[in-house]
Amino acid sequence: MHPDPLWLDGIPGEALAPPDEGPACLGSDPLLTLAGASDPFFERLDRLRGAPALGPPASGPEREAAAPRVRRNRHWTVTPSLSEIDPGEPSDLLDRWLDDDLRQRLQALSHLAHAESGYDRFGFSPAAFRRAVPFFLGLYRHWFRVRSEGHEHLPSEGPAILVANHGGLLPFDGAMAVVDVLLHTDPPRLVRSIVDRWAGTLPFVNVFFARTGQVVGTRENFLGLLSEGQLALVFPEGMSGIRKPVTQRYRLQPFHVGFVELALRTRVPLVPVAIIGSDDQAPILFDLAPLARRLGLPAFPVTPTFPWLGPLGLVPYPVPYRIVYGPALPLHERFGPEDADDARLVQHLADEVRRTLQTLLDRRRR
Amino acid sequence: MTRVLVSHADEPLGRRIVKTLFHDPAVEVILAVGSGPAPRAFDRFLAGSPPRVLYARGDLSKHRPAADLFRSARLRDAAIDSVVHVPAHGAAAGGARPVAGLPARTAEARIVLQQCLEAPRIHSLVAIGSAFVYRLAPGNANLLHEASELDLDPDVPAELRSWIDCDMLLHGEAQSGALRVVLLRVPTVVTSGGFVFLNPWLEGRPGPRVRPLGFDPLCAVVADKDVARAVRLALRSRASGVYNVSGGEAVPLSLLARWTGRSAWPLPAPALGLVEVALRTLRGRPSARRLPPLRYGFTLDGARAEEALGFRPAYRVGLARAGDGRLRLETSAV
Repeated sequence: MHPDPLWLDGIPGEALAPPDEGPACLGSDPLLTLAGASDPFFERLDRLRGAPALGPPASGPEREAAAPRVRRNRHWTVTPSLSEIDPGEPSDLLDRWLDDDLRQRLQALSHLAHAESGYDRFGFSPAAFRRAVPFFLGLYRHWFRVRSEGHEHLPSEGPAILVANHGGLLPFDGAMAVVDVLLHTDPPRLVRSIVDRWAGTLPFVNVFFARTGQVVGTRENFLGLLSEGQLALVFPEGMSGIRKPVTQRYRLQPFHVGFVELALRTRVPLVPVAIIGSDDQAPILFDLAPLARRLGLPAFPVTPTFPWLGPLGLVPYPVPYRIVYGPALPLHERFGPEDADDARLVQHLADEVRRTLQTLLDRRRR
Repeated sequence: MTRVLVSHADEPLGRRIVKTLFHDPAVEVILAVGSGPAPRAFDRFLAGSPPRVLYARGDLSKHRPAADLFRSARLRDAAIDSVVHVPAHGAAAGGARPVAGLPARTAEARIVLQQCLEAPRIHSLVAIGSAFVYRLAPGNANLLHEASELDLDPDVPAELRSWIDCDMLLHGEAQSGALRVVLLRVPTVVTSGGFVFLNPWLEGRPGPRVRPLGFDPLCAVVADKDVARAVRLALRSRASGVYNVSGGEAVPLSLLARWTGRSAWPLPAPALGLVEVALRTLRGRPSARRLPPLRYGFTLDGARAEEALGFRPAYRVGLARAGDGRLRLETSAV
């Protein structure tokens, strides 16, 4: 049972269903509910809030009016489609190793950076990304043997927030999502993971993350990415997801709610992403929290191999990955930016997104 | 028509602003103030009849010379109605020679502001501030806007503290009814040829620098011509307040050092400490270990300046091959 019932504005005494009771409390499938097919939850929410009842998702001009409100400016980054790019002849050893399709995709990403400096304003360098791709592509194809589905739910242009589960000691789940989206979108899109601030303090790691397109999770950075029309990948569980023990694998931890607030404010859709495999790559037996505090680390997880084998113990197990993209959750079609100020509503929507993602995970793991 | 006083007009940034304002038909008279003799670049400006540019020597960091200038017949005859304050830059201005207990830069900002408030004819003050005043969250790049938090940490190096003090002095009067105050926060300013201004680590003589190993933060850069354009737009507009003025590019610190002819040696923390002590003793440079911008980078959100002042960067920064075949930093129109 959720310890803190959620109350809506102006409805004293009437509580919404707590999130841990599962989808049944809303009387519908959360995947369908938040995707807009059937919405008793939203009807109930609107009745409670005194707003007119919501119909099905808007279409045509109405839908255009409800389109993302993020300012479309000259910095809106658009990559060219594959048909517009000539891969040309391989120019170096790395080019010879990469196939034509991948070279086209990497060339498309070079449009994200300034021509003069070769960097975008978050530190992404297409050249550095190109050098890193072979390693992660090897992991993607041969170590984790990633299978994926639901790419049709990824927008071909414009901003979206990908909401994924997190697990597995080291963030290979984010890396695999980046590679997967790059390989399955046309125009090729770069996923910008929002990483913990702690990563920004780590020598070398902070540079590596920035050069490969990952961004430290400050509010301004997040808004900046969305205003540039980019795909932001968030792990709302945060560190709790990475350090959860094996007994909690694939059970989503409580979500941070900032991403919902920003999705409402900027009118950007959410795309749930279930990543199956990450919780098996490094089963955590327990977290040595006192030692972590003493070392200034967010966690000190103990796995069957770490820390017993030293740094080798950090190598993930070669478990198969499966990445599933769910239907987009168009919260911006049902709530306005002003609703982002309602902390309890935001919390409730974050719980709904969590439940939706949990359902997606549970179904695809079967 | 505007009649403008430009401080520190004998320094490179001030010279650029005077040149830009000289070519603006909306500016009728420019009173350029510097601490040294008139730069030779002003010869043709000063030769007009009657000259549109006047030059006066004065030390604005001291109360008496500043009061003498602001109450002078020359300023009164020129009917100056706006002031462009280009702050002193370099480590010396940040604390090495304190004036009345304040770093020269802070004392100067305080005195100029006070004189502008007291002068009945002056209605606008456009000041250049530094974007290094912001508190930086860990990370290679932080996107900062005008409302982002300032770094009020008491341990902040003196060089940055003086910028923050100037910023707060001017910011405090931004809503003043008597004076329109515009504060332009600019990041690292670069010019053709690889000169660097307003960067606490890179400005000054070319030569080796040290930086923390494992960090290569992103630096926002802006061309000096864009800064001068922003000043011109701020003079024309009726807006007041604080605005980020940034160029279109942001480059890693190591690359910027290379572009500007400086070598940046990454050193681990213990070695960095020893080298820093030596460099500080010999050349008086601020401590690299304590400068947050050497670990965490930033870029500026210039949307507010675009909306209120109509400023969009018009110059890009990059390498170009000079006549002698060598690559050097150039700023060119977009």
